[in-house]
Amino acid sequence: MNVGGWLQGKTIKKTGASSSSHTRSSTPQQVQSTSTTIFGGGVKDASGRVSEFFSMDDQCPVSPAITKCVCESCIDRLFTLGPAPCPICNKILRKLAFTPQTFEDLGVEKEVAVRRRVAKEFNKRREDFPDLRAYNDYLEEVEDITFNLINEIDIPETEARIARYRAENAALIELNIQREEAYAQQLKEQEEAERRDREMRAEEFRRAEEEEREEREKGKREIIDKLETSSKDAAKVIKQTRKNALKRSQARSATTTQLTSNSQLLRSRAAQSTNIPDVPHVPLQDHYYAYEDKFTLRPEGYQDFLSEAVRKDREGIMRGGGYKVEEAWERALRSAVAALDLPPLSGLPQPPSRVDQGGDVVMAS
Amino acid sequence: MDAVEKANAARQQQWIKDRKVGEGTYAVVYQGREASSGRKVAIKKIKVGQFKDGLDMSAIREVRYLRELKHQNVIELLDVFSSKTNLNLVLEFLDSDLEMIIKDRSLVFLPADIKSWMAMTFRGLEFCHRNWILHRDLKPNNLLIASDGHLKLADFGLARDFADPGYKMTCQVITRWYRPPELLFGCRYYSTAVDIWSVGCIFAELMLRIPYLPGESDMDQLKTIFRALGTPTEEDWPGHTKLPDYVPVGQFPKPPMRDLFTAASADTLNLLAKCFTYEPRKRISALDALSHPYFFALPYPTHPSKLPKCSTVANKPLDEVDANVDMNPTGPGVKATSKGLKRKLASPTEAKARSIARRLDFSKAPPSSP
Repeated sequence: MNVGGWLQGKTIKKTGASSSSHTRSSTPQQVQSTSTTIFGGGVKDASGRVSEFFSMDDQCPVSPAITKCVCESCIDRLFTLGPAPCPICNKILRKLAFTPQTFEDLGVEKEVAVRRRVAKEFNKRREDFPDLRAYNDYLEEVEDITFNLINEIDIPETEARIARYRAENAALIELNIQREEAYAQQLKEQEEAERRDREMRAEEFRRAEEEEREEREKGKREIIDKLETSSKDAAKVIKQTRKNALKRSQARSATTTQLTSNSQLLRSRAAQSTNIPDVPHVPLQDHYYAYEDKFTLRPEGYQDFLSEAVRKDREGIMRGGGYKVEEAWERALRSAVAALDLPPLSGLPQPPSRVDQGGDVVMAS
Repeated sequence: MDAVEKANAARQQQWIKDRKVGEGTYAVVYQGREASSGRKVAIKKIKVGQFKDGLDMSAIREVRYLRELKHQNVIELLDVFSSKTNLNLVLEFLDSDLEMIIKDRSLVFLPADIKSWMAMTFRGLEFCHRNWILHRDLKPNNLLIASDGHLKLADFGLARDFADPGYKMTCQVITRWYRPPELLFGCRYYSTAVDIWSVGCIFAELMLRIPYLPGESDMDQLKTIFRALGTPTEEDWPGHTKLPDYVPVGQFPKPPMRDLFTAASADTLNLLAKCFTYEPRKRISALDALSHPYFFALPYPTHPSKLPKCSTVANKPLDEVDANVDMNPTGPGVKATSKGLKRKLASPTEAKARSIARRLDFSKAPPSSP
């Protein structure tokens, strides 16, 4: 039956083709319903609700926009095809605006949602302010905005405030988001490192135990062997073997202390990293001005007599060795520009007035 | 006393020599301090008059270039004055070098530490290149570490400015293990790429904790390089067969770097490979290297103050300030020859083991043969 449906290009519901076998877990696909449409699950009443709304095991999603309780299948039914008017208050809503309810009290639920939204953009830190006063003022403003949003006071004005803030602080918001991400990443890495460290130690311990056990067995066997073969006094043989075993185990423990000290060192390094934070890489830490705005190298090169040998280097000896004649040209140009604070000639075949501007000097240096 | 002498005497009084910390063929190094502030300095007294050509070339180079360079990651030349017939260079005092740190087995390096050192090395080198100066002797021994953890390029005894077009330079520069293949092929026209190769070697050495390409002779150096990185083809490096001292050293396949640098991230290997590009013109520049994703990726480079330090500071304060005075008489830049090879130690025992194994074989052979 299903197959037939496919072949005929009919719309098929997930759970089966017949509408009479409809269960609540499936989502009715035809949402373009008029008030007269009859669903398998129940009859739509005037408010747009379905009788199954009252089922107890329904998850109850909440829209932060208007704070109300709608059952999951209703949401699916009403909003699958994009924004649609809400059956209760006729506001245009989207499916995405509904979230599963965490708190029993819808007021709390809404406050949490609002705070989450505000915190996403108002993410300045204490470091971003010159003094504590400014920071406190900022916190108060954030609290004001949050309060307004929660209690729906002056919504348009508050939204405008948020938009203004967002426009003014776009760069800082972005930076703080990145900072937080980096911090989260760092935490994750630290945890990972600790976990590895623990595993390594456990492994080390297991191995040591294993070795020790083998050692003991070997010692026992050795004693038995010696007692069998040698004609010496039994007590002496045992004493000698015991001494050897002790020596070996001491040597082993020495190497383990070396290992543990290494891991200790690593751990202390990791702890230290919280004191002075490592900063992201900055390629150049000085302010380097290379006069790059004053000249551009000609891509086709220059016909100066100094570089003639390099330009005529057919064998490629100079090129094979990596000599860059461009560097020599760049050096000459940059030195000239830097010394004279003049842009160089843009090319020789220029109107005579440009050449007179001091071109000779540039070429000579 | 004329004005020049007076000025010189005034200069001399600003610095106090405390104790001798080392002596080389060309110079004696003292630890000293600034009279006014008590700041520690190293004073390098260059012996004059003993050589018929006058001043040692490396001293001239050092003064000439360090006088110009002032950067956080380049050693600072504080002053120059003469005493009797000697020339004195007053240098920043730095307590250790990267070689000591690499060799100190009690230290553990984090990837972030290596990143931090590399960033500082590249920054110092970029500053030299920006000022048209080739360092030409980069190696861990010449990267000094200040007490606050900052790494500084030192020993400008082999440095020179970029050659004019068509002007020959010597290829006998850079300590062998850090020398790029174009110099080993006797190339006389080269560029900043030679320093980048050395930095690549240092990068690898920081990860491995042993020299990456320890050749035993110039010929063996080429072989070592090709064994590690594969023999270059004409495509990899156009024109290398035309270089003056080119000799084919045999074909080696290129083993994947991942096999040796097992713990390195993809970014790390990518930057390393770019430092070891055979064609010098395609090798990454110091400026580009600083913008490589490796440096921006997590973990962030360690703050210099937290980098591992040698526990036995001032153990040998001579070598660092004095690195270019113990020059081999055969010419500059071949220092590794006199020091002996670390790798060699392993070979004699290995050889012995092999001969024993063979002897055992021989003794067993006769009974079965008749």
